[in-house]
Amino acid sequence: MAKSMLIVSRHSPWSGLGAREALDIALAGGAFELPIGLLFLDDGVLQLQPGQRPAVVEQKDLAANLQALPLFGVEDLYVCRQSLRLRGLDGQPLALPATALEGPELADLFDRYDLVITL
Amino acid sequence: MKFAIALFAPPHAPSSRRALRFAEAVLAGGHEINRLFFYQDGVYNASDGIVTPQDETDLAAQWRAFVERHALDAVVCIAAALRRGVLDAQEAQRYGRAAVAVTPPWELSGLGQLHEAAQQADRLVCFGGV
Amino acid sequence: MTTLHLLSQSPFTSPLDSTLRPLGVRDGLLLCGDACHALQPGSAPLELLEHLPASIAIHALEEDLQARNLTAPERVQVVDYPGFVELCTRYDKVNGWL
Repeated sequence: MAKSMLIVSRHSPWSGLGAREALDIALAGGAFELPIGLLFLDDGVLQLQPGQRPAVVEQKDLAANLQALPLFGVEDLYVCRQSLRLRGLDGQPLALPATALEGPELADLFDRYDLVITL
Repeated sequence: MKFAIALFAPPHAPSSRRALRFAEAVLAGGHEINRLFFYQDGVYNASDGIVTPQDETDLAAQWRAFVERHALDAVVCIAAALRRGVLDAQEAQRYGRAAVAVTPPWELSGLGQLHEAAQQADRLVCFGGV
Repeated sequence: MTTLHLLSQSPFTSPLDSTLRPLGVRDGLLLCGDACHALQPGSAPLELLEHLPASIAIHALEEDLQARNLTAPERVQVVDYPGFVELCTRYDKVNGWL
């Protein structure tokens, strides 16, 4: 049976390659039909802020890659509620459906996966 | 145990040296390394183009020597490498670039190799940041 | 599954609270690099660490303590690289907080 992998994405979308390269690991895992979960934590939650216009700063839009996640079989998406709260995003609609988790629930999440990669 | 080791930081980052010392301890402890996978800025550790002052630690050279000494499977993520100008002869020719930075024992390949190594190892240990 | 969390960033630029949030009661911490500055006496990060449940084992990499002239408090176990490898085998998985 395949080992499950949780990918923790902590970078904002337009701060370099961090967000993009975390997503690429998730998509690659999905392409190989591995059980993948993706947690947006810290500035990673900013990737889910809707209505962003990256073209204005000549950045490639991550939205297409994010939308591709379920197409690659990556449907277990999570977001840290505290990270949302600190950034004024708690209770706001997010660009992708993701389960918001509080502290102890994050510990449970980590517990459930066989592997973790944090970027 | 079988270890897969991933490195996301460049050779001048303390985490690159830490990853190498860890990898050495893994083998010294009688364990195996099924793959080294260099991703993000970690691809720079595989670059032939790094020139280190003689009175400084040459991590890129130390990584190469380590890989060669133990005949390890050392993979560099091709997408991350291309973005950072760390090309092998094939990619340099494909894109018409003069500089070839990656030579054996390093091999450019995809993220699938990271996943495969993680699936087959007993432990995946990632190094990066600073 | 228990996790060994590897920390390597200074707690003053990369606050500990997000990394401590997903900590399970049987997880472990290994402080490397500038994360060892979390052991600065009288600092807020040290207080945070000392208030973690006793079931969470805290370790620090010996070379990084020595390089920074830091001493480990009683609760923190100092390890060398062979010890680091052994820790990785003791926990079910390892998470590197970059």
